[in-house]
Amino acid sequence: MSNFIQSLTCFAAASLIAACSPSSPDAPASPESGESAETAAVEPGSNGTLRIYSARHYDSDRLMYEAFENQTGIRVLYREAGANQLLETMKAEGANSPADLIIASDAGALWRFEDAGLTQALPEGEFESRIPARLLDDKRQWVGLARRVRGVAYDPERISPDQVDEWQDLADPSLEGEICVRSSTNIYNLSLMGEMIERWGADEAQAWAEGVVANMARAPQGGDTDQIEAVAAGLCGVAITNHYYWVRMTESRSDSTRDAALSTQLTFPTFGEGTSHHINITGAALSATSKQQALAVQFIEFLLTPDGQARLTTETKEIPVIDEAERPAGLERIPQVGESDMRLSAFGEHQAEAQRIFDEAGWN
Amino acid sequence: MQPTARHLPAIRLSASALTTLVAALLIGAPVIAALLTGLFGGGGEAWSHIVSTQLFGYTFTTLGVLLLTTVFILLLAVPAAWFVSLFDFPGRGIFEWALILPLAAPGYVLAYAWADIMEVGGPLQSVLRDVTGLSARDYWFPNLYSAPGLSFVMACALFPYVYLTARAAFSNLSLCTIEAARSLGASPARIFINVVLPSARPAIFAGLALALMETAADYGAASYLGVQTLSVGIFRAWHSFSEPAVAARLAFLLILIAFGLQLIERRSRGRGSVQQTATRWRTPKRRKLSRQAGLMVAAGCFAILLMAFILPVTRLVWVSVETGIGQKAILRPFLNSLVLAAAGSALAFVLAVTVVVGARQNRFSQLIGRIAAGAGYAAPGIVLALGALFILSWTGFSVAGPAALVFLVWIYASRFTAAGAEPLSAAFSRAPASLGNAARSLGANRFQRLVRVDLPVAMSGAAAASIILFVEMLKELPATLMLRPFNWDTLAVQAHAYASDERLAAATLPSLLITLAGLGPVILLSVQLTKAGESRAAG
Repeated sequence: MSNFIQSLTCFAAASLIAACSPSSPDAPASPESGESAETAAVEPGSNGTLRIYSARHYDSDRLMYEAFENQTGIRVLYREAGANQLLETMKAEGANSPADLIIASDAGALWRFEDAGLTQALPEGEFESRIPARLLDDKRQWVGLARRVRGVAYDPERISPDQVDEWQDLADPSLEGEICVRSSTNIYNLSLMGEMIERWGADEAQAWAEGVVANMARAPQGGDTDQIEAVAAGLCGVAITNHYYWVRMTESRSDSTRDAALSTQLTFPTFGEGTSHHINITGAALSATSKQQALAVQFIEFLLTPDGQARLTTETKEIPVIDEAERPAGLERIPQVGESDMRLSAFGEHQAEAQRIFDEAGWN
Repeated sequence: MQPTARHLPAIRLSASALTTLVAALLIGAPVIAALLTGLFGGGGEAWSHIVSTQLFGYTFTTLGVLLLTTVFILLLAVPAAWFVSLFDFPGRGIFEWALILPLAAPGYVLAYAWADIMEVGGPLQSVLRDVTGLSARDYWFPNLYSAPGLSFVMACALFPYVYLTARAAFSNLSLCTIEAARSLGASPARIFINVVLPSARPAIFAGLALALMETAADYGAASYLGVQTLSVGIFRAWHSFSEPAVAARLAFLLILIAFGLQLIERRSRGRGSVQQTATRWRTPKRRKLSRQAGLMVAAGCFAILLMAFILPVTRLVWVSVETGIGQKAILRPFLNSLVLAAAGSALAFVLAVTVVVGARQNRFSQLIGRIAAGAGYAAPGIVLALGALFILSWTGFSVAGPAALVFLVWIYASRFTAAGAEPLSAAFSRAPASLGNAARSLGANRFQRLVRVDLPVAMSGAAAASIILFVEMLKELPATLMLRPFNWDTLAVQAHAYASDERLAAATLPSLLITLAGLGPVILLSVQLTKAGESRAAG
């Protein structure tokens, strides 16, 4: 037994040493890949270091960072966590925060960083000309890099398309017992409600929330994917979901998952006659403590090239924001969306009120 | 307790208590920092909002989950331990160690797997609909996204703690006591209730206290299943209301609950300590069950194993294979997990030894050691991380560099020292005081006694402690999420990120690897404990 303890201690000691040497935390994004090191035009790190706080968790993001490193010689260090967690971490870090660039999904999430005073205005750059004006925040606190649309997946055997072509329809008594949706604390629901408040005013938005609660097939639970699965299984007729969850299911390698998604229809309701869909973004913001403005803009411009867009959206199934970019596989199955006229900052501005409305409507 | 300590408190205390004090401070500092922030931080409006709308719910839910988990754990662990230690039935030799395996799978991993198995589009309900021809709206099905669902998952993940302590107690039963009861004509059921349970109760409570503190501190499973426990409330207060001070106050409640649990455990130990006369312990010879009874017991044990381990792990393997494995950059997170867990358990082990040895020296050390370790263990990882971040910002460090790793190792140790201290302290208490006294009379000083008398006696406990520490740290999630440095993921972090991003398929590989990495140590622990039991039985 003493041998065992001894080896355990040795292992622990060796590990501590290992922790400090080969895989040191300051290593570049993906040092294992020898191939890219050979083809590298510039040595990563020779042109500075960009520290990214990202709320995304995709293997393809590592490759994206690596491609940027090799193109520019700028080393990328990243830390991934939930958006709220990154935000609180940055607050706790205060003036010491090492963050340069924040990447988060949903304009409502980016707005929280801005609201907490953790962002600074993006410097002017060529990137602005590549994207629709709506994707750059009025105060230049963040910029949209990819689109995401919130819509519904419905059971075509139970529900007709005109029962779900406007968001208002979901509150109609004809859909009683048909709606599956996730908890209202989720940012996607908060931003959707934010747009309703902006368009319809708080009272009408509240009535909508109450109508939907009355139509729910079950108490909110799980994520968007779970709601689509529930429609496929016949528990409900309509699931509220972001488009990419549905697209990922249709591209799944699991037959049952693919069949489940394809047995439903995805559609994007409007907010009433002549209005657009709920189009949200994944975007980037410059940390208030960052002194790497130029590098950050360089990274944003990289993401707004066709190559960068492909790297950003292929795995996530988000919609590219520049026309020349190739669209990820599976997007051909979703309805076309144009650009919305809705101010993205409205999602965040109405966040607190949105949560209050949901709470009062009993949407947990 | 040494009489000299009373006569010369100043000198004795400074000598022995100082080490414990340092250890206790090291363990307790993050909790203290978090609690201080809770006391003196702002958060007025959010606090009154939470007090008026959520506090009762959080507390009630947490207590309810703890109660239900207790029931589930006792139902799973105690009968299994009883039959495995005292009876012979088909497969007993396998179940004896296999029932510890669920310890390798974190609660949140079981939650991912069981949620997938039980969901409306999942395999169970699909089969049910296919067989009965019912539609999904026609029948009731248990909902895992609920407090009972969370309790079920946590019981599956944590019952081995009670199984282990109960088994040890059952195997240590004095043969004489049972024989005496038998010769007095007591039925097996009466023996179990009147003789066995009272003497095993302290051990069962000790295991239960560990399991329940883990349950109370769990964040991963509760948040995945959407159950509003205090732990989840702490996250919410911090992340949604942006009030770390409020989070720290909620944490204080959680710590109170954990201390309550410890208190109950201590009291039960005090009242229930049926002293066995030390040297003649023998595992009663296992009685062979009738064929029918034996098969039933074996089926019961298999059902437990199926529920807590085989089914969920198989499901994850299935999803992983179905969706194609091998595309993930998983090697570094795997190594990172091992490195962190190893470094953390080394530090925690040293701290645990210090605390346990200190507790044997004098009351002061016992008290501060226990409070510090208990508070660390009770505080969810997120609170300790919060405390560490405050300490970081006071001292002007940044978590950007390797310093974050040191902090993380420290937080791990702070969080889990109690988990290592429990088996250590149990093992030390098996070393009769006479042995130490004999060594002292031979002129051995305290350190020599520790190294040459106490530690060898406590070796099995020490091995168990280090293994438990290692496995617990492999599974740690919230503090790692907060404090890890750049470009540094662990398996737990990856599993959580993917699962909460609704990509179960991507979460399966890291989830399975955590389980796999924990499996080796757990089997080692299992074999070692089983052997220890057998050698005692033979001796």
